[in-house]
Amino acid sequence: MKLAGYTLKLEKKASFTGLEAIVISVVAILVALFLVGFIFLQAGVDPAKGYQAMFTYAFANPFGAPLTINRAVFILLSTFAFIVPIRAGLWNIGMSGQLYFGALTAFGVAYVFGARTSGANLSGAIVIPLMIVGGAIGGGLAGAIPGVLKGKFNTNEIVVTMMLNFIGYWVVAHMIKEGGPFMGSGGEGEGFKLPASIQAPIVSGVSVLTLVIALLLAVLLYVLFTRTRLGYQIRAFGLSPAAARYAGISPFQIALITFVIGGALAGLAGYHYFGTTPNLNQIPKNYGDFGDMAFYGIICGLISQGNPLAAIPLALLFGGLTSGGRYVQGKLHLSYGIDYALLGVLMITLVAFQFFFRYRVVFKKES
Amino acid sequence: MTEIKHGDIVLQARGITKRYPGLVANDHIDFEIRAGEIHAILGENGAGKTTLMSILFGLTRPDEGEIFVFGKKVNFRSPLDAIDLGIGMVHQTRKLISAHSVLENILLGHPRAGAILDLKKTAEEVKALCDVYGYKIDLNTKVWHLSEGEKQMVEILKALYRGAKILIMDEPTSALAPPETKKLLETIQLMTKNELAIVPFITHKLPIVLSVSQRVTVLRRGKIVARLNTADATEQSLAMEMVGREVIFNLERPDVKIGKPVLQVENVSAYDDKEYWATRNISFEVREGEIFGIAGVSGNGQQPLAEVLAGLRKASTGRVLFRGKDVTNLSSLERWKRGIGYIPSEQRAVGSIGEFSLVENLLMSYYYDDLFVKWGMIDAKKVRQLTQELIEEYGVATPSPDVKARNLSGGNLQKMILARVFSRKPRLIIANLPTQGLDVGAMEFVQNKLLEEKKAGAGILLISEDLDEVMALSDRIAPMYEGEFMDILPGGSAQRETVGALMAGHKEKAVGA
Ligand SMILES: Nc1ncnc2c1ncn2[C@@H]1O[C@H](COP(=O)(O)OP(=O)(O)O)[C@@H](O)[C@H]1O
Ligand SMILES: [Mg+2]
Repeated sequence: MKLAGYTLKLEKKASFTGLEAIVISVVAILVALFLVGFIFLQAGVDPAKGYQAMFTYAFANPFGAPLTINRAVFILLSTFAFIVPIRAGLWNIGMSGQLYFGALTAFGVAYVFGARTSGANLSGAIVIPLMIVGGAIGGGLAGAIPGVLKGKFNTNEIVVTMMLNFIGYWVVAHMIKEGGPFMGSGGEGEGFKLPASIQAPIVSGVSVLTLVIALLLAVLLYVLFTRTRLGYQIRAFGLSPAAARYAGISPFQIALITFVIGGALAGLAGYHYFGTTPNLNQIPKNYGDFGDMAFYGIICGLISQGNPLAAIPLALLFGGLTSGGRYVQGKLHLSYGIDYALLGVLMITLVAFQFFFRYRVVFKKES
Repeated sequence: MTEIKHGDIVLQARGITKRYPGLVANDHIDFEIRAGEIHAILGENGAGKTTLMSILFGLTRPDEGEIFVFGKKVNFRSPLDAIDLGIGMVHQTRKLISAHSVLENILLGHPRAGAILDLKKTAEEVKALCDVYGYKIDLNTKVWHLSEGEKQMVEILKALYRGAKILIMDEPTSALAPPETKKLLETIQLMTKNELAIVPFITHKLPIVLSVSQRVTVLRRGKIVARLNTADATEQSLAMEMVGREVIFNLERPDVKIGKPVLQVENVSAYDDKEYWATRNISFEVREGEIFGIAGVSGNGQQPLAEVLAGLRKASTGRVLFRGKDVTNLSSLERWKRGIGYIPSEQRAVGSIGEFSLVENLLMSYYYDDLFVKWGMIDAKKVRQLTQELIEEYGVATPSPDVKARNLSGGNLQKMILARVFSRKPRLIIANLPTQGLDVGAMEFVQNKLLEEKKAGAGILLISEDLDEVMALSDRIAPMYEGEFMDILPGGSAQRETVGALMAGHKEKAVGA
């Protein structure tokens, strides 16, 4: 392209650094906020005030901040569920199905201990850890299905995990409604109530146990990818399946292991929300809503480029946007879905900035 | 256009410069091409030959410089402009449509093809061209039936039929069997009689350059380093200009005692990815200290055979023994552990991972070794140190072991791959096209390393397209054609012509030779 004696060219950059990645992400987020400001304007709200209300609620309000953190933990665990297979080049979009199964098995553990019928004095110290492990196993087993199908028959993992999302949803619905075994003894069409004795500890509205678990997992996963044999095999396979196979790495094992780990992490996300938030598990519709929220894990995983530590601030931001967005929508009488609009615009700016990040515009004076 | 006389300048380049991020692919290139002349452009891989060629053909725009064709300054917007001016191009990879016939391919893109198709007249004209150059080809055959050499022939015909006066060829001999190469050279020489200018761009095969060209221009790192009349050049002097240092051509074949068989292959057959038979009933053995060479043009079943031996492809029939034990059904990992080392033909797609550092690339052969991985944790220091040692031992040119593999040149990457495989001290080495695409310097290095391994008692299966290489290195030679061994000949006494004919599938001729 030529402009007033200058040639304009796009040059592909040979490489970029982690710092550049951070700068680009931050700039993209600012631009997205700027653009969504127009939605505020259009609704007759001063964008500065709108954002102030939104972020104050999300990060500094005694009700909003714990909600943000709880959601961030959920999104973070969903992100991990996506990251582990994607580092092997495999797409897990079955976090919602896996977390349904994880929630179900976690409640299965509670059920076995008699939590449905007796509000009894169950020992939290025994049942809570077992519920957590149960949640991970349930999610992991759900993950094993696409893992085996991919590894053995090279079935498209995207299709399989999608289908399992639907199946998971209907299994949940069956279990807690319509006379399923997890149905509460009192009301119709609701799941049983978790006795207070086996409710995971909540401090100032934050589910601290699962928060700590999620942060520990971030470190563990980081170590897995950077230091361990398994992480090496996963990354090698993700970058070049042919070279990995040549080096003796089994595609079947990689598919199975990454999907089981991913599923288990999603199962933990299931436990985190349904096992710690009082009464949330009882209402079938909640499963659909939180299943949808698990998809933010995909966005977070892609932006963080598979880095579990980089995913932490992102999950916090996304958690804040969902809680704060919902809040200002009600408070300032904005049209429905301001949080979704913001997330959508954010995604577009991130993709656009990734482009500039790889290319560089150069002007050259015509000689 | 005025009549062109022998020796007239037909194409001239002045100050051609092309920059890519981080390097100058063509640095102020000046040269001219004359009618009726074969003007070879010689240079190592990455010297900038393909870049220059695509600039002359209008595929790439230079950042600086001018091109004159028949004395007129030109500014190519696309290859169409170049074609209209009489420049023809035969690319390194074939650009034909395989489901179409030869004639259709020749006609495709011809200005006349837009109007009414007079296939009969075209066929006659193309036939006349064929007669001139002694081509025997059925114009109605579908292109996918043709051999590499025949496909190239079609591309040449296509360019000539379009009225090319200047024919540019990128690595024209790289995929050809020796008899096809010979035929190509004859044709080229005939063409120059008709005042065509021919410009082959060649990486190695120096004897070819010497045998047909009148002038040679040598490129090194984007710059012209020598302009010579071929009569004044020798193989040594050309190699020295290309590489920038002395290159020794004579490999010293060590006297090694041939020991017990390390590899025994019995009646092995395998399918290729399209589920066609790729190799049929192959039987042979490789002994300790022996180099067993398979000579053949790529695509004759060597790749599937190598993959069967490396555990990457299932054998449909037969069995494979390694040091006397049946390994037919062992995984590739198990074979690595037992001492089978495989050097794949695709350095970048299979033999290395471009986004990995050299340390991580070395790990490809060490991640399963408990000396380097304890309790699942990689001993990064140890791997890094080994990488550093190997970089030194193999003379890999790199600023650090943390450089990504994709930043290494072909020769250095191949050195790194050899270092990885050989450092495991394999008893059997399967080397699939180990010098393919390498410049003379790196090629010499790889061949010497193979000989060192032989001296150390490893059995080596060498798969190569380069007849000279197979002849120089092998103790026994199996010419391979369409999935079968045509024969197994003793390396010392086999005739070059015999092997060449056999690998092109000519059994009868070989008997007479
Ligand atoms: N499109 C491109 N972008 C960046 N670098 C390139 C491109 N094409 C070629 N190069 C680089 O330019 C140099 C010359 O390449 P090439 O002309 O293909 O060499 P040759 O044909 O002599 O082997 C190489 O280092 C190559 O990596
Ligand atoms: Mg080239």
